[in-house]
Amino acid sequence: MSAVSMTPSWARRWRQRLWRIDAADRGPIVLRHRRIYILPTRRGLAMIATLAIMLLTSMNYALSLGHALTFLVAGLVAAALLHTYRNLAGIAASPLAAGEAFVGGELAFTLSLANAGAERRGIVVAALSGPSLRVDLPAGATRPVQLSVPANRRGRVALGRVTVSTDFPLGLWRGWAYVHFPLAGMAYPAPEAPPPPLPQGLEGFDLRRSARAADTELAGLRDYHSGDALNRIAWKAVARGAGWYTKQFEGSGGGGALELNWAELPPRLDVEAKLSRLCAWILAAERETRPFSLTLPGTELVSGSGAGQRRAALTALALFPRESAP
Amino acid sequence: MIFAPAPAAPLARSQLLWLAALVLLAQLPLWPHLPIWIAVLGPGLVVARLLLPADRPLSTRLRRWLLPLLALAVAIGIRMSFGYFLSRDPCVAFLYALVGIKFVETRSPRDGGLLACLGLFVALTQFFYGQSIGAAVIALPMVLVLGGALAALREAPALPAAWTVPLLATARMLLQGVPLAALLFILFPRLAGPLWGAPADTGARSGLSDRMAPGSVSELSLSDAVAFRVDFIGRPPPPVQRYWRGPVLTRFDGFEWSALTRIRGGRLAADRSRAIEYTVTMEPNNRQWLFALEHPVGLPRAPIDDPTAAVGPVRNVAILTDDQQLLANAPIMQAIRYTQRSTISDRFAAAGEADARDNVQLPRGNPRTRAFAAELRERSGSDRAFIAAVLDYFRREPFVYTLAPPLLQGDRVDAFLFDTRRGFCEHYASAFVVLLRAAGIPARVVTGYQGGEINPDGGYMIVRDSDAHAWAEALLDGAWQRLDPTAAVAPSRIERGLGGALAQGEPVPYLARLEETWLKTLRLRWDAVNYQWQRGVVGFNLQRQRDVLRDLGLEAARPWHVVALAGALAFLWGLAILGFARARHARTDAAVALWSRLCRRLAHAGLPRAPSEGPLAYVGRAAARWPQSSALLQRIGETYAALRYGPSDATRAELLARLRASIAALPSAIRR
Repeated sequence: MSAVSMTPSWARRWRQRLWRIDAADRGPIVLRHRRIYILPTRRGLAMIATLAIMLLTSMNYALSLGHALTFLVAGLVAAALLHTYRNLAGIAASPLAAGEAFVGGELAFTLSLANAGAERRGIVVAALSGPSLRVDLPAGATRPVQLSVPANRRGRVALGRVTVSTDFPLGLWRGWAYVHFPLAGMAYPAPEAPPPPLPQGLEGFDLRRSARAADTELAGLRDYHSGDALNRIAWKAVARGAGWYTKQFEGSGGGGALELNWAELPPRLDVEAKLSRLCAWILAAERETRPFSLTLPGTELVSGSGAGQRRAALTALALFPRESAP
Repeated sequence: MIFAPAPAAPLARSQLLWLAALVLLAQLPLWPHLPIWIAVLGPGLVVARLLLPADRPLSTRLRRWLLPLLALAVAIGIRMSFGYFLSRDPCVAFLYALVGIKFVETRSPRDGGLLACLGLFVALTQFFYGQSIGAAVIALPMVLVLGGALAALREAPALPAAWTVPLLATARMLLQGVPLAALLFILFPRLAGPLWGAPADTGARSGLSDRMAPGSVSELSLSDAVAFRVDFIGRPPPPVQRYWRGPVLTRFDGFEWSALTRIRGGRLAADRSRAIEYTVTMEPNNRQWLFALEHPVGLPRAPIDDPTAAVGPVRNVAILTDDQQLLANAPIMQAIRYTQRSTISDRFAAAGEADARDNVQLPRGNPRTRAFAAELRERSGSDRAFIAAVLDYFRREPFVYTLAPPLLQGDRVDAFLFDTRRGFCEHYASAFVVLLRAAGIPARVVTGYQGGEINPDGGYMIVRDSDAHAWAEALLDGAWQRLDPTAAVAPSRIERGLGGALAQGEPVPYLARLEETWLKTLRLRWDAVNYQWQRGVVGFNLQRQRDVLRDLGLEAARPWHVVALAGALAFLWGLAILGFARARHARTDAAVALWSRLCRRLAHAGLPRAPSEGPLAYVGRAAARWPQSSALLQRIGETYAALRYGPSDATRAELLARLRASIAALPSAIRR
């Protein structure tokens, strides 16, 4: 944006320092006074106002003990401020893992909070969207914190700025610090529901055959892989002690490699619908452990199977260029 | 940015209990100062809410209508009970009831926060009625519970039994806050007078009055309350000369003596040969009287130890009236100190003609007294002989000095002088003056204090309400002569105080008794503590504040100097509290700091640490990249891992030193 480039560099530096707009934090970030802000909570403001009224009353009626009580509580409030700061200062936050999700779901990002000092209580961690989390950190403990960020649109989803805050011990002050890691997950297109039947091998799409019919004829057995559907396990073989096998049905894998091709999708579908359908097929192929290839305009994924193939294919869908606005 | 507390969740039982404790502790000290129905209603509401089943909170309609109506009813009740509303005491009573009403309708943590603030303010109002050490001590648990309640409101305690944890945490924070509180207490500017309307109904101690009816002084004599304390420069005068002059009563209506309403300036005693000097610390009495030994030779001055201050916090400028009374220009609303010079003497020159004219009036009645006086005056050759004869009459006849005289009816002076003959100093002074006036001698009653006890613990003198006394003076040869008929009846009252003069079994106030019991010694020691408390804490006003600033060498400081000083001290305080906390965990902290600095350095050199990479894996990668330093890097990784994840034992300091040394030893060649 031109506005950014016109901003003087010192202003940008200060804006970054104050608001942590850019994802410029690397490695463990130890929260220090440079990052920590503290303001009174609503309750804290009410307490300060009460103290002010008490002070005025004490002054008017020359109540020495009124002054003493007011200042004693003021000392308590001030000490609470320091304790709020101390509850936050010294926590080291580091990025651990980024999540993945389908649009409409939630990405789970994992941060780690390390506490080298004394016990911290009531640390609230919140991303810009999604629910906040409350953790207690015992002395010397390191805790993973999983933040959920809603996947609103496909593509790369950055965790964004994370606010680490606390109002411990008295709820009169809220201290907070921003950390902004370059942590990004992937939001895949939502799979079409109900999932359309898989295209038939190399023969292209066979829209007339229902998925149910396709699953009826047993084609054979293959070795069991963890994650295979329970109802497809060859339980008789297991019972015989012959080992673990998974049943394969006609049209569900035995049919050989799937070829998922953008160009062969019905042209009446818009880009997102096509992506959703491809997504659903990829998931179905993965479920049935059929190798598949994926051809998108500008992207070609050779036939393969397994988690790597699935992730590569879904990522390709997620990063597929958006339709330019009409 | 203001952050609202979490959305209104209903209060947990434990939170409710914390708030109940807070409200009850705030109400407790006010209990004795309120009309009984209010005193019962406030805590009663709190208890009623607690007894209400937890699963059936008040319905919304009840909350919306009943409670405001209740508040209104209480307001009307207070208006009727006090006769007025917009004044301090009714407002205190209303607030007292209001915290109870607010507690009944408290449902969310947000209500709870408001309640905590309201309760805190109510806790302050108890100081309207007394600022003793006890009042201060009783406020402390309330402050502790305030902290506990705030902590509980922030996060409902998981275990109700863990109630000591927030109390201990609050106690710690309170202790940490004490230096700041003390700083504010000393440096925060005190006012010379009230900000808005004069506090009209300051709870005045029942002290001396400007009227004297039979029984008024004896009632006072039952009180151990301190009237004032005196520091003598030099030796205090003997007990028989300790007459502290107060209101002079001239008018008599047959029952009650009262002072003249006009005030005229008088002349100071000229004879300064036997002058002594002393500093009086007077409790507030809501009156203008300043007490001095008979007779003052100067006006009250700023205390010796504070020459710059005016007398008293309200700059009470004193005057001397023509009947030798010292008057401040405004009622004494807070404890004040002044230094006074007096010459020890029992006579002073009359002011003029008016004195003789004003002091011979007698109401009708008391025929036997008049006849007796006329007859006795006839027999005596002179006024002086007559006075001696009257005093002799008191001495000779079986008069009894007692705190519990029989009730007098009709011609009261007659009845006392010739029938009952049992009375207290006010009876003797009154009858004596009536006799003198009946004989044509101008005379009047003087009230004040007689005596005073030296506190061996502090070297100062305590004058109590039980030392209140009434005596007489007569105008003889152009001078007022002090005459004390009580001394004739009960000389030991004058020489040894009340306890020495009353018969066995009389209800002598405890501290006026003469026995030297250990309990009395203890009470005297306690009074010494109280005196210091009154002077140092309660009496800490503009004047004392100036003292402190002068002692600190800051008398010339401008306000912003003081503000800057206070700010700097507060900053140091904050650093000290934080530093204190950090010191305990400095070692692990230092390890993390060293490690993250190393990570940044290696990242700069082109080898950033992966987010989930442990220290050993990372240094392994670094060692592969810079083989010439691989041993050092491995050692750094191992040391750091041992510091961070190993057992916390005594070798940590050593490990930390090793980590620091190894990082320092890394060659500068580790670069991109």
